[in-house]
Amino acid sequence: MRGRKPTGDRQGRGGKKPFKKKFLFRKKKFCKFCDEKIAFIDNKDIRLMQAFTPERAKIFPRRISGTCSKHQRKIMQAIKRARTLALIPFAAD
Amino acid sequence: MLQYETIFVTEPTLTEEEIDDLIKGYDGLVTSAQGKVLKVEKWGKRRLAYPILRREEGIYVLMVIESPTSFVKEIERRYRMNDRILRHLTVRVEHEAQLGPSPVMKPRPIERDEIPGDMGLAP
Repeated sequence: MRGRKPTGDRQGRGGKKPFKKKFLFRKKKFCKFCDEKIAFIDNKDIRLMQAFTPERAKIFPRRISGTCSKHQRKIMQAIKRARTLALIPFAAD
Repeated sequence: MLQYETIFVTEPTLTEEEIDDLIKGYDGLVTSAQGKVLKVEKWGKRRLAYPILRREEGIYVLMVIESPTSFVKEIERRYRMNDRILRHLTVRVEHEAQLGPSPVMKPRPIERDEIPGDMGLAP
């Protein structure tokens, strides 16, 4: 350490050093549900559904949210069920 | 015997008594099929996310029942026959959380960090 402080953005997960050039400030994504140990996703939890269907009411993709495949599948199922009950929209304009 | 969670949405014009009658009717059906009703929740009038048969609102009722598997078919058939029911859904109870009050019944403040993977994409 030659008097260089670690950057503030590197807290929490991983532990590995970030890539040198391009991805210096990219935080490691993680599954929010695994982190909070949520086993069951309720199709009546409208607020959660809405958080996962931003703007045009499309399902938030895994590659952006970082949700694991197991939980993404569950949330997808819940969103689709909530849609049939008109709790959340199929599409918004 | 399995536990099921069944939700139906009726027309917004139905009165409180008519809703109660509907629930009572289904209640009787469940008991006559050797099942039992574990929970009834009346969510009341809610705005629909999209119009159904030109209705902008609907009255939501949730019931958690314990019944033989064959009964689901029967109750779904009855939902479909009743033209005052706009939508319905029956699913298996997967988790004990479904037996308690549902998230709709206990409103809580929105937290900023509930938005997943917020990377400053949407305002």
